[in-house]
Amino acid sequence: MEEKRHTSLHYEKELQEIKNGLIYQGALTEKAIQQAMSSLSERNSDIAQKVIRDDDEIDKLDTELEERCIKILALRQPTAIDLRFITTAIKITGHLERIGDMAVNIAERVLQLNEETQLKPYIDLPRMTDLVGGMIRDSLDSFIRGDLEIAEKVRRTEQIVDDLNEQIFRELLTYMMEDSRSINRSLMIMQISKNMERIADHAKGIADMVTYMVTGENVRHQACPMNE
Amino acid sequence: MKRNLFLKIFFSYLAIIFFSFLVLNIFIKDEIRKVMTDQIEGELFTHAELIDLSSARAMSDQLRQIAGISGSRVTLVDARGRVFADSEKDITRLENHFNRPEIQEARLRGKGKATRFSQSLGVDMLYVAVPIKAKAQVTGYVRLARPLHDVQNLIERVYRKILLAICIVAVISLLVALFISYKLAEPIRLMERFTERLRQGEPQGSIILKTSDETKTLADNINYLVDELQNKIRMANQEKSKLMTALTSINEGVLILNTDEKIEFVSPSLTNILTEQYGDIGGKTLLEAFRNVDLQKAFQRFRQSRDTVTGEITLGQIDPVIMGVSISEVHGYPGEEKFMVVFHDVTRLKKLERIRTDFVANVTHEIRTPLTAIIGYLETLQIGAIENAEDARRFIDIMLKQAERLNRLVEDLMTISKIELGEVNFHFEDVFLPDVIGSVLPLVEAKAAVKKIAIENTMSERTPGVLADRDRLSQIFVNVLDNAVKFTPEGGRVTFGAEEKEGYIVVTIDDTGTGIPKEEIQRLGERFYRVDKTRSRELGGTGLGLSIVKHLMHAHGGKMEIESQLGRGTRVSLFFPAKKT
Repeated sequence: MEEKRHTSLHYEKELQEIKNGLIYQGALTEKAIQQAMSSLSERNSDIAQKVIRDDDEIDKLDTELEERCIKILALRQPTAIDLRFITTAIKITGHLERIGDMAVNIAERVLQLNEETQLKPYIDLPRMTDLVGGMIRDSLDSFIRGDLEIAEKVRRTEQIVDDLNEQIFRELLTYMMEDSRSINRSLMIMQISKNMERIADHAKGIADMVTYMVTGENVRHQACPMNE
Repeated sequence: MKRNLFLKIFFSYLAIIFFSFLVLNIFIKDEIRKVMTDQIEGELFTHAELIDLSSARAMSDQLRQIAGISGSRVTLVDARGRVFADSEKDITRLENHFNRPEIQEARLRGKGKATRFSQSLGVDMLYVAVPIKAKAQVTGYVRLARPLHDVQNLIERVYRKILLAICIVAVISLLVALFISYKLAEPIRLMERFTERLRQGEPQGSIILKTSDETKTLADNINYLVDELQNKIRMANQEKSKLMTALTSINEGVLILNTDEKIEFVSPSLTNILTEQYGDIGGKTLLEAFRNVDLQKAFQRFRQSRDTVTGEITLGQIDPVIMGVSISEVHGYPGEEKFMVVFHDVTRLKKLERIRTDFVANVTHEIRTPLTAIIGYLETLQIGAIENAEDARRFIDIMLKQAERLNRLVEDLMTISKIELGEVNFHFEDVFLPDVIGSVLPLVEAKAAVKKIAIENTMSERTPGVLADRDRLSQIFVNVLDNAVKFTPEGGRVTFGAEEKEGYIVVTIDDTGTGIPKEEIQRLGERFYRVDKTRSRELGGTGLGLSIVKHLMHAHGGKMEIESQLGRGTRVSLFFPAKKT
């Protein structure tokens, strides 16, 4: 993608703007989940509130980018790789918007958790956050460079995040069994973990779209080779 | 080069020779012909006039004789043009010669000549005729004819000589051209080789020529230019290395963006910070390289305002670094827009700032809590509780406890500030560590017994002594042991021991407590810093214990280190400098 030059410089600029917009949106979502997580570990409700407020910007970017893409579809009538690029961009911005919503979900759970005493120190969740943040960054990198190797890396990381979610689930189960008073908090932490896992799914969705964009082959809904 | 020069010189010589020959030909050829013809003509006239026509017999002999001497054909014609004698032809077959131009000329002017193609001999002939006179009466004509190819031959001979001369001159000019071209080309060749080496970037001195003509000036000019160029390059390199030294040695990281907003230059100090987290960022835009919302927002603000913009961003997730950023325009690139982003690490500053604000907030909070309790009970007493002696006594007990806590707090604070200001007098003496531990243990053992915590002492009796203030040392151990017991759940264990390591005597206190999260460990020495904010206060600490230990250890020339595993326990290591023996 990068090396290609269109005859119309203006067209080229429009495509570049969409790329930049997506990176920016990606950076925003990444920041949102980082902040949601630090609001959890630092028990800081102010940060959680900020995450909820800042989601508006992510949503606004989603509609704005989508409009731009549709405008290009209508005016430029792109073909081949450009067409796939635009359609992929529309999908990606949707994924990112959903990721933003999940960061809001996490922040809301954090606000509730902060009302009560801390159940346990968080060890796996911050790890999960770092992995998921890396996945968002990597999936967008693979999109911008059209790099299938990075896309593959994202798919592999998704598996690790799944495992972590599973582990957190089991650990919280023991807490709940030990002490029924911890059920409420455990469930909320579980929801946070589940949301993280779904963010990872979205990042994987972006990576799959990139594979489609580069090769024209649809790899969605296919089993990951790691599973076998 | 040399070959070309040689050919040029040689061919110009050749051209000059050729043209001189051509001019010579134009001027000389006719001249030679004229002179030769005139000479032959004169000769023929002389011979013609020698002929004596006295007798026919003598005439016939003479005729042949003259023909023999002059190498010409002699014809005698009478007044009416009839041929009556000829040295070569049969006279009967010859036609009337009266109308021949030479005869006519001789008749009219006394002498006649003509050049024409002879039908009878088939060559160009020169004819000369003179009248034969008897008593002033023309009785006939003597005509002599000679073929002109003699003249032609002569001219050809002369030309052959000239050609030979040309050849010789040509050979000489070839040699001269070779010589001149070699001489001329030598300095040029030298300069050529010199500039070629220069072009390939090899080190070189200067050209030295033995000549003193224009090539010398040229060489001097080249030498001068090379010197100038090298000076300029050296100066540019010096400037560059100065700049790089400056950029490397300052703490600030510098980044330069080109017109396309792509990263063009990263200063070495910044590269060191960034490579691990962001890889190679050259050629990317800020957004692509950093994926940082705050940085991007700052850059957008800069693009709108065109004024220097400052901001604060956090880079990296695992080990975050807080950077003060300032974005400004770089001037001095005509026709181009360049921007400079300066990164300044403010992580430490931020941390200190937070410690300070936390401290103020904590002090007020810590002081207010007992004060509120005291005031509350005093108010209760005031509105009547004082009448109830039993309640009053209880309230006063509580108030006293709170006041004592307040007092402890103030004392701890004073201790710290005194140590920090260096106003505490230490009485350093040789202290036997097991002694001190022995005196401290009873203070915590009671508490430990309540929680069924076993205290284990693995310290060897042979542990060498340290140079320390005995009272302060007890304070250190009390604080650390108290903490260990406090944060260890029932049935746990506290172990302490000592070892010698790297010039230190290290006292370790292990517990099987809750442990401390990794990111909190480094903040433990801060005043009022509590890992578990609610629980620790319930346990009655002032939040200054470890802070005092840290300061006291510093005062002893040692240090405190804490390792911890969540859920497993914590190890506090106290490093005392070993005495030098």
